[in-house]
Amino acid sequence: MTTLHNLTIKKFHEGLRLKDFSALEITKAYLDHIDARDSEIGAYLSLSAKEALLQAEQADLVLARGENLAPLAGVPFGIKDAILVQGEPATSGSKILADYRAAYDATVTSKMRLSGAVFLGKTNMDEFAMGSSTENSAFKKTKNPHDTSRVPGGSSGGSAAAVAAHMALAALGSDTGGSIRQPAAFCGVVGLKPTYGAVSRYGLTAMASSLDQIGPITRTVADAGIVFRAIAGRDVKDATTADVSYSAEDFEPNFEKLRNMTFGLPDEYFIDGLATSVREAIDRVVQIYNSFGVKFKKISLPHTRYALSDYYIIMPAEVSANLARFDGLRYAPVSGVDRHSKLEELYVANRSQGFGREAKRRIILGTFVLSSGYYDAYYGKAQKVRRLIKNDFLEAFRGVDLILAPTTPTPAFKLGEKVEDPLAMYLSDVFTIPASLAGIPAISIPAALSPGDLPIAFQLMAPHFGEAKLINAGNYYEQAVSGQAI
Amino acid sequence: MAEITAQSLAHLAKLARLHLNPEESGVLLRDLKKILDHFAELTAIPTEGVIPVAGGTDLKNVFREDVAADAPFSSEILRQAFSERRDDFLAVPPVFE
Repeated sequence: MTTLHNLTIKKFHEGLRLKDFSALEITKAYLDHIDARDSEIGAYLSLSAKEALLQAEQADLVLARGENLAPLAGVPFGIKDAILVQGEPATSGSKILADYRAAYDATVTSKMRLSGAVFLGKTNMDEFAMGSSTENSAFKKTKNPHDTSRVPGGSSGGSAAAVAAHMALAALGSDTGGSIRQPAAFCGVVGLKPTYGAVSRYGLTAMASSLDQIGPITRTVADAGIVFRAIAGRDVKDATTADVSYSAEDFEPNFEKLRNMTFGLPDEYFIDGLATSVREAIDRVVQIYNSFGVKFKKISLPHTRYALSDYYIIMPAEVSANLARFDGLRYAPVSGVDRHSKLEELYVANRSQGFGREAKRRIILGTFVLSSGYYDAYYGKAQKVRRLIKNDFLEAFRGVDLILAPTTPTPAFKLGEKVEDPLAMYLSDVFTIPASLAGIPAISIPAALSPGDLPIAFQLMAPHFGEAKLINAGNYYEQAVSGQAI
Repeated sequence: MAEITAQSLAHLAKLARLHLNPEESGVLLRDLKKILDHFAELTAIPTEGVIPVAGGTDLKNVFREDVAADAPFSSEILRQAFSERRDDFLAVPPVFE
């Protein structure tokens, strides 16, 4: 039987078809491995073993009947806890939702069910996706499988760690300012943040609605493409989804298309804070693409340096509005709160005990930037600067097909290293935030191992709805380095 | 740029329906000052005539027909999640007193 360690969605699909193994065997193997390994890693908040085994059996039945297998048939997934799976817990890493169970499926969940996926469980995350290390979860700290003294990144740290530690074949995460790409980079797996509007957000617990996107975390670039195609598309339940159709042909490997491309290298991403190991890894990535025939061009995205400040106004503003709905009455009660006080006191008690430190910090910051007298100075200004950041990208894409940059300035940092310094923590997202503000798709791909054996990643960014270009370009890099891959 | 003071922080907390203990207030005040100082750099950027990005997409007026359908959710799960019930009703403290 194929071991979990070299399985990809593609190989799994082939193996199922050729009857090398059954979906049930593989799901059992993942559940056993979770049982053995997750006490050390802490990737999962809850498991749905019984349902997972039933879903796996379904895939085997489809095959036994001789019907065509859907692309994700029998594929065991970890799902970020902010994404609703009906009947399962959906805490979003917060005490205020500790006892909540999802009353309905997110659109991505229903789409994946239709595509035959198996849901192993819900993965750990920073509370309401606010953080870059998964240390802000109210429940547990997830460890980086490459070095358990280090963080897995965040906020989708549980999803990235689960895939990296072979506790899921693939996972779903959500990315607001880097929460798919940064943990994927730290854990040595692939993470795709789709174009804003490509994937429905219905059933994703909202953090910052103008930025949030659901996307895949996988072992290979091709797998990210398979999952993306299964979840993308217009949804009447999310009015911000775009009516864009992705053709299967666009996702077929096409070397000619890649060979004729020009990639941009933005000056602003090769800054002083960039670790030497990361810089060297990126140089090697550039050489490999060069060897394919890809041309490189230096570009400038002049407003990049303002992106972090801009993000930390827009995001908390939207957070303070989105998190207003959590009052401890709707969804689930907060344990330890006297439920018989006056209504307003009850709200205050529920929210004060239910929200953690970072959630409170962002709610207060957001309330401030939206408050009377400061709205124009902060939020209004930030929305205009966001336009300038977006325009930088649109301008750059007139001269280049894709933009290549590091995903993070350094490899994974130590647990506890940045917990007391919010600005230092925010800086770990400095390279992922600009694409989020611009709404463009970006993929993080493992590039190399650092001298300390920690994964280093690069990201490719494409114009809006250019996911197929990212998958095509990423695919060939991965093939070129396979054998020496992580 | 605006200063954040202990007094304005208390007001913001009230607006956000949060109670902050003295320790939390102290830490938050220190962090918010640092974060807001960092933001001050935005004021220097010329943005006259720039159209604000008001959302993640430039789509406008996304309409659809109303269609009656069964609720796609489990009301049993919703009911069970509620701390207090009387028969089929969910109980909350009085809104008006």
